[in-house]
Amino acid sequence: MKRTIQQIIAIAKATVLESVQQPIAFLILAAGVLSTLLVPVFQFHRFSEDGRLARDSGLSCMLVFGLVLAVTTAGSAVAAEITRGTAAAIIGKPVSRVTFVVSKWLGICGVLLIFWLGICAATLLAERGSYHFVMPDECAHEDPGVTCACCESPGHQMDTVTLTLGICGVGAAMLLAALRHYFKRRRFGVSAFVGVAVSQLCVAGLCGFYSRFGNLRMMRPDTAAYLPDLDWRILPAALLVLFALMLFAALATALATRLPTGPVLAVCVLALVLGLAGDSFAAGAGLASWRGLLAGLVPDIQHFWMCDALAHGGRIAWPYVAEAAVYALSCCALFLTAGCLAFRLRDLG
Amino acid sequence: MMNPPLIETQSLCKTFRDFWRRPVVEAVKDLGLCVERGEVFGLLGPNGSGKSTTLKMLLGLLHPSSGNVRVFGKAPQDVMVKARIGYLPEVSHLHAFLTPRETLMYYAALFGMPRQGAVRRTGELLEMVGLTHAADRAVGRFSKGMARRVGLAQALVNAPDLLILDEPTSGLDPIGCREVKDLIHLLSQAGVTVLMTSHLLADVEDVCARVAIMDKGVLRAHGPIRDLLRTPDVIRFSVQGLSEGDAASVRAIIEKHAGHPVQQDYPEMSLEAYFLNVVNRDAPQKAFEVAPFLKP
Repeated sequence: MKRTIQQIIAIAKATVLESVQQPIAFLILAAGVLSTLLVPVFQFHRFSEDGRLARDSGLSCMLVFGLVLAVTTAGSAVAAEITRGTAAAIIGKPVSRVTFVVSKWLGICGVLLIFWLGICAATLLAERGSYHFVMPDECAHEDPGVTCACCESPGHQMDTVTLTLGICGVGAAMLLAALRHYFKRRRFGVSAFVGVAVSQLCVAGLCGFYSRFGNLRMMRPDTAAYLPDLDWRILPAALLVLFALMLFAALATALATRLPTGPVLAVCVLALVLGLAGDSFAAGAGLASWRGLLAGLVPDIQHFWMCDALAHGGRIAWPYVAEAAVYALSCCALFLTAGCLAFRLRDLG
Repeated sequence: MMNPPLIETQSLCKTFRDFWRRPVVEAVKDLGLCVERGEVFGLLGPNGSGKSTTLKMLLGLLHPSSGNVRVFGKAPQDVMVKARIGYLPEVSHLHAFLTPRETLMYYAALFGMPRQGAVRRTGELLEMVGLTHAADRAVGRFSKGMARRVGLAQALVNAPDLLILDEPTSGLDPIGCREVKDLIHLLSQAGVTVLMTSHLLADVEDVCARVAIMDKGVLRAHGPIRDLLRTPDVIRFSVQGLSEGDAASVRAIIEKHAGHPVQQDYPEMSLEAYFLNVVNRDAPQKAFEVAPFLKP
């Protein structure tokens, strides 16, 4: 048992390292973060729904880019390794095929977790950065007795400082990765991928020190020195998306034991579409019908897409998140079992 | 009571099939093979003869279409069996982004080795294969020969009882080839069973006690290499420091007894031996320190 755990950790760690080395992983994360942060800048129809649009866009980026990342990672970590022979080199050691499949899935989940942290932080920043109606007394400038431009124009305000910091964070992460590669010969892909995620988390942490107008809170004694002003209701919704991504990672891992990346992506996209539209096409269908059977086989992705629940101040209950986690893990177990069965008799050359 | 053979195959067949399960190629046909404990066994054959396919079935990577395989008396898929095997594939399938040190640590972890022991073993193996200077460079940038050395090191990481080497000298320079052959000798003396494939016959002749020759998936010949190569009705004398006149006298005497002309020539050293002399590298001095790689 101890050896199996050691093997799982070793293979999963190597999978994470190899996957984040791929330029595609960094590009997907950077594209996801930038898309999320730029939505508040380029949205034109507001109707006081700017925060919601930023939030929904961020979660959509998380789901779509995450799905592509899960599939490409499974493709490189499982299908390509089987083709290259690296998988044979591992299975030639005292590693069971079940251990191999489960370790690969855990490794892919590790990559997705880093991706999720980056996009989740970017979504929080985008929501904060988008136009919000702000009262003058929320402007935390040095002297409360003095009126400044922001105090004189109460109304919809965009937090340009936070958005700028978030976007610059991506550039800074790339620069830092390049410097680490040049001076310390560290892997650029790993540094850049992790760096982008960390940069967004850092900005999310730092934004509590200044107001929406960019004034430092500590300069104003009558307000709290640290107030992130982030919409934490996004967290459970983002967690649900993470569960969906883990589910797709399991599906992609299982399929990649037999199929190359292209068909795996096609099947996963189909599962996403059917999973989101399950209610529509399976409405009123009997369990014995093909529609009922399909609805039973395809995981219901609607359980994990709860953006609308956050509208008008709504919240997602944590017990619901826990139930969704159980559902996602059950689906993962099912897919991984199918993957292990498919991989059991696969010839490795 | 006799020990059972370490590797035993009976009527082993492997047919590769296409997507529709139609047979594409019969890679191995009705193979019966026995490898005893402690011997160095060579599996020979031209390209596509089924050598690598056979090795992969012995490792549980390929599933036989029919027949039986037993390694250490068990099915090759058994992880406890694989824990006792070191395997060097034909092409060193290494993670390109890992350094040799990380690669060996990774494989040590797969064998469940404790970290401290793995660090020590990694250092010893890197020194053995002459890669200490490149221990922290990504394997993806290595030449074929250097990657081969990493592959050889990973095959020894668990101090195996059975070493399976698929074309072990492929991609190595003559000095590297000599070192590998010396290593095989030393491991054999230490009781490790070695099964190797090669189409470089000189390599096999240098190290193997028994060989099997495969062609088009069929076992054509097998047995001790001396028995297979010996020409029973020919005797060769080698004499050093004999003058031309004395040689002619001896030749005349032998021709008289044999009743037909006798062939006389001057023995040549192998090109490998000549090369090693020229580059002033004495192979025995470079012999690997094998003790660290054996089980305590």
